[in-house]
Parts: sequence; structure tokens; C-alpha cells
Amino acid sequence: MAKWKPLERMDFLGKAYPRVEGPDKVSGRAKYTQDQAPAGMLYGAILTSPHAAAKIIRIDDSKVRQLSGVKAALTDVHPTGTVRYAGEEVAAVAATTPEILADALELFEVQYETLPFAVDIETAMKEGAPRVFADKANISDARVEEEGDLEAGFAKADVVVESEFRTQVQVHTPLEAHGSLAMWNGEELTIWDSTQAVHGVREGVANALEMPINKVRVICQHMGGGFGSKLQPGRYSAIAARLAKQAGAPVKLMLDRKTEFLGVGNRPNSIQKLKLGAGRDGRVTAFSAITYGTAGIGTNAGVRLPIVYDIPNYRHEHYDVFTNAGAARPFRAPGCPQAVFSMDQIMDEMAEKLGMDPLEFRLKNDANPARQQEWRIGAEKIGWAKRNPKPGSDPGPLKRGMGMAASIWWPGGRGTQAMITVYPDGMVEVRCGTQDLGTGTRTYVASVAAEELGLEMAQVRALIGDSDYPKSGASGGSTTAPSVAPAIKNTAEKTREALAEIAAKHFGVSPAQMEWQKSTITVKNSPAKKLGWKELCSLLDTEPLEVRGEWVEGLSSAGVAGCQFVEVAVDTLTGRIAVEKVVAVADCGLVLNRLTTESQINGGVIQGISYALFEDRLMDPHTGTMVNSDLENYKISGSIETPEIEVIIYDEWERGVIGVGEPPTIPTAGAIANAVYNATGVRLREIPMTPDRVLLALAKKS
Amino acid sequence: MKPAPFKYLAPASVEETLSMLTQYGYEAKLLAGGQSLIPTMNFRLAQPAVIIDLNRVSELAYMRPGDSGGLCIGAMARQREGEYHPLFAERAPLIRETMPHVAHPQIRNRGTFGGSIAHADPAAELPAVMLALNAGFKIRGREGEREIPARDFFVGMFATAMQPEELLTEILIPPLPPRSGWAFKEVARRHGDYALAGAAAVVSLNEQQRCREARLVFLSVGDGPVEARGAVQALAGEIPGEEVIRAAAETAAAVDIDPGSDIHASAEFRRHLARVLAVQVLHQAYERARRA
Ligand SMILES: Cc1cc2nc3c(=O)[nH]c(=O)nc-3n(C[C@H](O)[C@H](O)[C@H](O)COP(=O)(O)OP(=O)(O)OC[C@H]3O[C@@H](n4cnc5c(N)ncnc54)[C@H](O)[C@@H]3O)c2cc1C
Repeated sequence: MAKWKPLERMDFLGKAYPRVEGPDKVSGRAKYTQDQAPAGMLYGAILTSPHAAAKIIRIDDSKVRQLSGVKAALTDVHPTGTVRYAGEEVAAVAATTPEILADALELFEVQYETLPFAVDIETAMKEGAPRVFADKANISDARVEEEGDLEAGFAKADVVVESEFRTQVQVHTPLEAHGSLAMWNGEELTIWDSTQAVHGVREGVANALEMPINKVRVICQHMGGGFGSKLQPGRYSAIAARLAKQAGAPVKLMLDRKTEFLGVGNRPNSIQKLKLGAGRDGRVTAFSAITYGTAGIGTNAGVRLPIVYDIPNYRHEHYDVFTNAGAARPFRAPGCPQAVFSMDQIMDEMAEKLGMDPLEFRLKNDANPARQQEWRIGAEKIGWAKRNPKPGSDPGPLKRGMGMAASIWWPGGRGTQAMITVYPDGMVEVRCGTQDLGTGTRTYVASVAAEELGLEMAQVRALIGDSDYPKSGASGGSTTAPSVAPAIKNTAEKTREALAEIAAKHFGVSPAQMEWQKSTITVKNSPAKKLGWKELCSLLDTEPLEVRGEWVEGLSSAGVAGCQFVEVAVDTLTGRIAVEKVVAVADCGLVLNRLTTESQINGGVIQGISYALFEDRLMDPHTGTMVNSDLENYKISGSIETPEIEVIIYDEWERGVIGVGEPPTIPTAGAIANAVYNATGVRLREIPMTPDRVLLALAKKS
Repeated sequence: MKPAPFKYLAPASVEETLSMLTQYGYEAKLLAGGQSLIPTMNFRLAQPAVIIDLNRVSELAYMRPGDSGGLCIGAMARQREGEYHPLFAERAPLIRETMPHVAHPQIRNRGTFGGSIAHADPAAELPAVMLALNAGFKIRGREGEREIPARDFFVGMFATAMQPEELLTEILIPPLPPRSGWAFKEVARRHGDYALAGAAAVVSLNEQQRCREARLVFLSVGDGPVEARGAVQALAGEIPGEEVIRAAAETAAAVDIDPGSDIHASAEFRRHLARVLAVQVLHQAYERARRA
């Protein structure tokens, strides 16, 4: 099995070094899909349904087509003619300027027959509620997961805690909108897409347009975030292509912020009824959960319970609930922040009933060896021993507290292909059809190759984000680094083998006699027979060397553990929670780049704070649409709300590359809720923990 | 996210502006910093036929000392000046203390004093502070100039006592009496957000350290800035100690205001915040007055 060389012999991996595209990004040279503007480009837009449920009776685009500057219009973009959420695609148009485009959207005449709807989970679950799909009940069949003997487990318990928790719908809100630029050259189509999957979009667009796949090329050089909502091809890509074909000109179609909120994914909400049993000895004996969640018109609104802890007997029954809202999409650790929010709180509730320190209680019930270390490291860093021993006991209105919660993740690496080209002048190119959704992929594509070939980063050019390059999967599930880095290493190893053969031929020995020292190659025991990198590459004469490689076993692994400790200050007069400090202990395996790894953890924590305290999709039950579909009213944690974040990278390079992007957002909300309890003596079982909810909870207590 | 077509005019003087306003009346909108107007146009919530851009009317962009310790602020003075210009620290420290709560630095760089006051957003800080400071506004129209005291100026949600053909030219901040103190506080979800509730107070004491005059004004709890008149009556002639302030704050929250509910806060929550903030600003204003 393949192996990484020991960390102490590494030049780049395990260390901190800047992103290769950093100068392009800060100078504005980096071109995102949003920035593309080929000559003659038109602007495209999609008209969306204002109704949560309606039949489209008639779409008249005659006034649209009469508007000067309009070059194409489509009235057949909806596949069935029945819209099921406000924000669903109804028609599309392309025009010469964004201003004309905005005018054109107002000129479509659409006749709808509106239908009854249910936009929130409570309404959708009621007897006789309007059905989202005529042929399906709103509440799905139960999905049950169980292990052991639940009854026996609860019978053994000395203490049982029951609690209900709720989490909200969170919307991805990447800074760069979803969208595509579509350009035809005869029958060939090139799409610039803000995507987490250039190969996936290529397949999706070829399917949607019934085109041969080899006529479609998808490019994404830089992108402004996705968090999972850009894993799948969007309807907008094929729509842009059709508009471009009709107009005979390139069309750029970026969604506006409102459509972003309504139609391109979200994290499902949850209602969770939990029950936990434990013995006086502090061992959990049983756990049961009944959960509901809505993924809008989509499915997979599950809550990943039980989670983290070692529970011998459990049963989890889950129901998806359809609502007239945009379908959920994978969102940074799907199902997990919801689960840890409730799990780590009920663990704290149990610890209190048992009279145990929450830390001690966790150590007793957590079988993961990495996390056993991490809990202790985090507790030490936050100063757990100094925490308020009695919840809510601070004098005065400002109350401080500490809390903790766990992190976990599963997938590792999988098939990815790559190609390395060595030029006679010694320069190297690495091609891989992955993409950089902002995590630093491009940088480690270069650094892993440089590391293996013994070169400087400047000698290696990383080429990614293009479906013309060897196939790699979508950037999701924190699988990108564990998939791509091994493929690059494998390709680099094979490149070395091919170069060793060339050197061996040059010296008239067998390749087995060649020996590498960084980028210099020598014949074993004949130090004079030596070629530096440049000399070696010059042997290629005029033919660049092209070598292909792929993901191999041994360089990555699955399974991630982590934890976070949080300190908060709660103003009991205004209800405001200020997160003052977060200690994030993150399991990182072999760190590819310390800087970008820390960025991922910082970002995960910030998004977790935002989830805990701010973000909330608010649906109006009367109009059936979202009332805060803009960045003023949909609150996302800002820089001033961001506390000191102490990142502790728990690295075990021998485990190879593991995923780091998703796990750090999992524990934050649960840890904050536990800290708020420690501060105030009041438990918040619903997020976001807004000031009014804090005050209500405080009022109930007193 | 683009505005509907409009005609753009860029006058260079107040006179020119007034004649354009006379010509276009209701059809025209004045453009100051654009931080409120442009978003509403981009969302097509407002579709004015004519935009009269004030940014070249340099005679409106000034700050200067007013009579006996007061301050005159030209309508086109940028909000950011309120933080840094020494005249504010000297003559209107309450404005300086309030400024960081108004939106974000980038917005204050463009946003103007006149724009915020003319816009009359019930959640805006400056209108409330103007009431607390007993400010007056100079208004120019075809018929000449008139001055409207702040307390008569804000007449409803996004509504003022100005006519569409009129122009706000200057804000007059009178000097505070001796032994005066001031304070501003608000609660917002995030820093820079419009407040869920906010309060400004000015307290002036007599020689016996009793309350001679006080003003307590709230934002985000009504259709415009709301003066808590009942509360300040309770303060008159009193030494504003803890008990007195608590009682005044209670009156303010329970009687003087009638907040509404929206997606950001319920009426009840706003009342609670108003009570908490009233105690805080009255207390701080009193302490400052005592030390003045
Ligand atoms: C993201 C964001 C956050 C914000 N947060 C806050 C906040 O927390 N608190 C707050 O108070 N404000 C906030 N604002 C608004 C900001 O302060 C605006 O600058 C201000 O309200 C309007 O000033 P302006 O100069 O930009 O006016 P404009 O937007 O140009 O004009 C506003 C209105 O006033 C009229 N007008 C302007 N000048 C005159 C004049 N001289 N005479 C007559 N009418 C005139 C215009 O015709 C228009 O109707 C925020 C804005 C943004 C974009």
C-alpha cells in the first residue's frame, strides 16, 4: 500500500504556505464565473413563480420579445407546468444589458391557477393539510434505525432525560451566486459555471440538452463558495445554453439573491424528541429519538442520530415532511449540526442529573481514541476547570459560561485521476479535473506534486477546474483532499519512475539502480553519475513527458473526530448572547497546508455561530414565500460577531489525508447552547438563539 | 436588481435644485448619499421618473459652529464626519457617540445627515437624536426658507413635514444648557443592523442637581422617533436617582410608546428593550450632567 514519507522529511505538507492563487484573488485578476464577459455577451435571467403552488395556465412572452434589446426568451423551462414553491423557474430571457433584462422580466404575462399550499412543517403535518404532491402524503413513512434492545437499555437506566429540540432552515448563501455563462461554437458548448463539480455539470448539461458528452466542456477556475449547494447541475446551466443558442450569442445567467434564497438549496429544519437513559455509573444505556424535518419539495431531511457517543441500545425513527419550499441540498455536514445540537445538550442534561462533570461524562461514553485526547486538550485550553460551577450564578446582569460539543465525520477518499506533464525545460504541469471551491485545492495540487518531485512550488503549475482534465469527483463530503492529494502523489511517483527510466537509459544501467535525492537522480554507489533536474529534463529533448496516475489506497483515511469548547457572555437584560471565545480542536490527519486548514476550521466555526445565533429562513404562511430573502434581513454572523477562535490542529500524519472542511461546523451550536446554560441556568432548545428567545426562557425560569 | 429608467439631473446650486424641484414636483427624487434611495430603486420599490443629484451642490456640504456653542450641519455633510470632525466632539458629542451605530463605515462615507433625516426611517438613529437635541431644520422652497423644529418634522413612517418641492438645507443643533448630560444606546441583532430598539437621552440639571429639563427619545418602536413625554414629566424637579429613573423608564415603556411587531422583534420584546435602554441612557445622561 502506498505511504506518505515521514512528516519530518516533508518540505511543504504539514507546513503553512500561501495559496498559489492568492495574488490573483487580491488583485482582481482571478476571474469568477460572475466576472466573465466575452465580447457580445448577453445577460440572462429566470422568471420565477411568485406562488407557492400553482398551475401555469399560460405564459405570454410577446411583450418581452417586442422590447428592444431582448434577444431570446423561453417559456417552456418548467418540466411539468405545476410549480410547487415560490421561486421555481417559469420562464427565461436574455438581453443586451442588465437594465433591459429587469424590464423584460416585468413584461412576461403569466396566468396561474393558484393551489393551496403549506410552507411550514407544522402546517404540512396537520390533518387535512394541502398536499405538496397530489400522489403522496406530506409525511413520509418512518425511517427506522436501531441497535440493541431499547427496552432493556431503558430498564437498566437509573436516570432518564427527555427533551425536545428544534433547529431552523439554514440557507447556504455563498457570496458568489449560482450561475453559468454558456457559449456555443457550432455544435460545441462551453459553460463557465460556479460549481463544485465541473464533471458533474458536464454530464448534467449533456443529459438535459440531449447532447453527446464530448461536445460539452465545463470550466470553473475560481468560485465564491458553495457549501454543498453547488454539487449538482442547476436548471440554470441548460437554460443559459438554450438562451445562448436561440440568441446566437454567449449568455451569462447568474441568479439574483432572492432566487438564491428560494431555489438552490438549504439545510432542512428539525423537530427532535429525544430520550436518554444512563446508569449511576455514568454509562449511557439507551437512547431513542423521533425526528421530523422538511427538505421542502425534496427528501433527505434526516438528523444523524445517535451521533458521536457509544450507545449500546438505540432506536431512531425519522419522518421527512414535504412543504412548498425549495428542495434542500447537502449543506456542510448534512444532518450533523442538527444532531449534535440536541445530542450534546441532552448529554449535558444527563451529566447534571447524575451530578457529573460534563467532561467526565463524555470521556466515559466516547469510544473514539482521538477524541479522548481532544476533549482533554480543549478543556485545558479553554480553562474548563475555572468555569462557573453553578449555572447562572454570576452576580449582575452579564453572565458568563462555558460549554462543549463534539464533532465527527466519515468519508475518506475515492477515485480521482490526474496527469503530470514534464517539459524539457524542467517545468511541470499537473492536470486534475477537480475544482477549488475556495478551500485551497489548487494550492495542494501544486504542493503535493512539488513535494514528491522535490521541486519548488514555482516550478509546478496546477491546472484544475476544467472538465477537459482527468476526471475527479464533486467537491463535497470533505472528500476532495483525501481524493485529490493521493492521486497527485501517485501521478508524481509514476512520473519519477518514468524519469528514472530515462536516466537509467542515459547511464546504461537498469532503472532499479537509480536513486533520487530531492530532484537529483544518481546511479547507486556511483556519485559521479548524477543528473540535476534540469539536465534530466533536457534529456526529453523536444517531447514533453506525460504521465497519468490515480487515487490509490493507503494515502487517505475515513473517520474524523473533533470537539469545540465555547465561552459566552449573556446579557440577561437584552437577551444578547456574545460568543467570546471558541477553542476548536480538529482532527486533521496529514495536514496538506496549515494555513488553508486553519481557514477551513475558522470558517466552520463562524458558520456554526451564525447557525446558532442568527440565520433563519422565515416563511410567510399567508403568502407562501420567504420574507427575509435578502442579506439585510437574513442575518449572517458578521466580522464583529466573530470571537477569538483558537484552532488546535490535532494531526496524525500517519493516517494520511482526511476531510477537514465539514466537521468544524458541527459542534458550534451545541457548544454555545451548553455554554448559555452554564451562564444562565436556562437551556435553549431551539436555534437560532435570538435575544427574545433568551429573554422568554429566562422569564419562564423566574 | 437594476432600477427602472429615469432622467438624471445634476444641479450645481441650491437655486438650480429648487427650480428643478418646482418643475418636476412629485415625479422627482433628490439623491443625496443614495444609501437608502438606490436600494429601493434597485428593488424597483421606488421608480422615480427624475433623479436630482445633490452631490455637486457643494454649498450644502459643510459643518460650522452655530450661535453660542451650537452647530450647523449642511444637509450634504457625510455621516462619517460625525465621528471624526472635531466640531461634533466639541458641540454635539451625542451625535458623535451615536454615529458608530448607524450602518457601517462604508455606508456612512456616502450617507448624509440630510438624507437620513429626510428619509425619516423609524429605525434610523439620527432622527431620534435630533429630537433629543431639540434640533431645527432649515427648509428651502419656492416661497423661500422656513425652519421646522425636529418635534414637528417627523410626521409618520418615512414621512416628514416637507413638501415634494422642498429641500432640506441645514440642521441646526442648539447648544445644551449648562449641567447637561447625554447618552445613546441601542440593541441590534448584529453590529450595524437597524436597531430592534434604541434610545437617546439628554438630561439638564438645575443648580440643586435636580432635573430641570430632560428628553428621552426612542427609535424603532413606532412610526418615527418617539418622544417619551410622560417619562420626562416624571423626572421634572427630581433628583434622577435609581428609583426615579426606573419609574420613568416604566412609564416610557408602558405608556409613552406603542411599538409594533415585525419579523425582527415582537411588540412585547420592543417594550422590554425600551425599558432596559431607558434606564441605561437616563442613568448615563444624569451621571454626565452631574459631572459636567
Ligand atoms: C446596509 C445598510 C445599512 C444601513 N443601516 C442603517 C442604520 O443602522 N441606521 C440608519 O439610520 N441608517 C442606516 N442605513 C441608511 C443610511 O444611513 C442612509 O445613508 C440614510 O438613511 C440616507 O442617507 P443618504 O444620504 O444615503 O440619502 P439618500 O438615500 O440619497 O436619500 C434618502 C431619501 O431622502 C431624500 N433626501 C435626501 N437628501 C435630501 C434633502 N437634502 N432634502 C430633501 N430630501 C432629501 C431622498 O430624496 C430620498 O428620498 C443603512 C443603509 C444600508 C445600505
